[in-house]
Amino acid sequence: MDWAETIVQALKDSEVSLISYVPDISIYKVIRLIEEDAYFRAVPATREEEAIGIASGAYAVGRNAAVFMQSSGFGNCINALGSLCIAARVPLPMFINIRGEVGEFNLAQVPAGRATRPILDVLGIHYYTLDDEHRLAERVSGALKLCYASRQPLALCLTPLLHGGQIA
Amino acid sequence: MHRYSATQTLLRLAADTPLVSNLGPTSDELWHASDGRRDRNFYTYGSMGLCSSIALGMALSTDEKIVSLDGDGSLLMNMGTIATIGRESPANLIVIVWDNELWGQTGRQPTHTAFGTDLEQVARSCAIPKTATVSDEEELASIFTQALQEDGPWFIVAKIEEQDYLPVAPVEPEMTLYRFRGTFVERPIPMPSH
Repeated sequence: MDWAETIVQALKDSEVSLISYVPDISIYKVIRLIEEDAYFRAVPATREEEAIGIASGAYAVGRNAAVFMQSSGFGNCINALGSLCIAARVPLPMFINIRGEVGEFNLAQVPAGRATRPILDVLGIHYYTLDDEHRLAERVSGALKLCYASRQPLALCLTPLLHGGQIA
Repeated sequence: MHRYSATQTLLRLAADTPLVSNLGPTSDELWHASDGRRDRNFYTYGSMGLCSSIALGMALSTDEKIVSLDGDGSLLMNMGTIATIGRESPANLIVIVWDNELWGQTGRQPTHTAFGTDLEQVARSCAIPKTATVSDEEELASIFTQALQEDGPWFIVAKIEEQDYLPVAPVEPEMTLYRFRGTFVERPIPMPSH
């Protein structure tokens, strides 16, 4: 299994079946697998914090849900994470493509990309950086299990060293 | 029309339909109108703008009707979610927007709806099929009764006049979530296997 298939399998193993996302070309491969798989309900959102609201609503009625976004939009959902997910203890797995990493061509995308993990730190949100396929299945599955056990949002930060994808 | 009285009317009609309420007075009044004893109220405490997004996520994950009690100032902050509701078109979602044309709690500054923004027209242009604007309780009760019975999504703008606030409801987010969730699943606290 490649990285995208590994993530999809881990989501299924944790019964995460609603995915709300703002598109990102680098991690499009995994979103495409999700869109094509009848197990999932994929919900494209207009903005990152909207995706957080949709996923939290799904959880509130008993369905596990995750979000996908890129670091440039992560800043749009800080208040939603603080005043909804952390406050109410919503276990929300977040898959964030980190811009401003090796190979970045657009300087405008660097500051928010570099700031994403420090912001997660000050919010007290645990995260793992996924930058290669070494023990990827264990890391993703283990992170999802931890997320639901702790009932807090948790981030998986994906870099070009993992997905090798286009940067746009 | 006043929101508190209208909320009492909605509660009488809603039976055990889940309700999601916007932060501030909308949630406080829902709590008071429910005597603090309705497990199917999902009060929000922050995340301004996300009330109807949360309700959308619920509607896509259950067959039951879901009602969002949103506000004009809040929805103006996240108008994109109206487009997402139109795109996903969940038949079981009812959005009610309490529109007082004010950011009430922050000093009663007029919002954009006081200057011609028509949220019902926004909803129509976002492909939401069932919409209405009502300005008295009788009309609201009538359209809400219809919305509970007929497929939507529904988007109902309820024009209201601002009134004095009731005391802040003595509720907190985690308890609200897990009490609400417990009306849908047997074990609201997830227990990962070893």
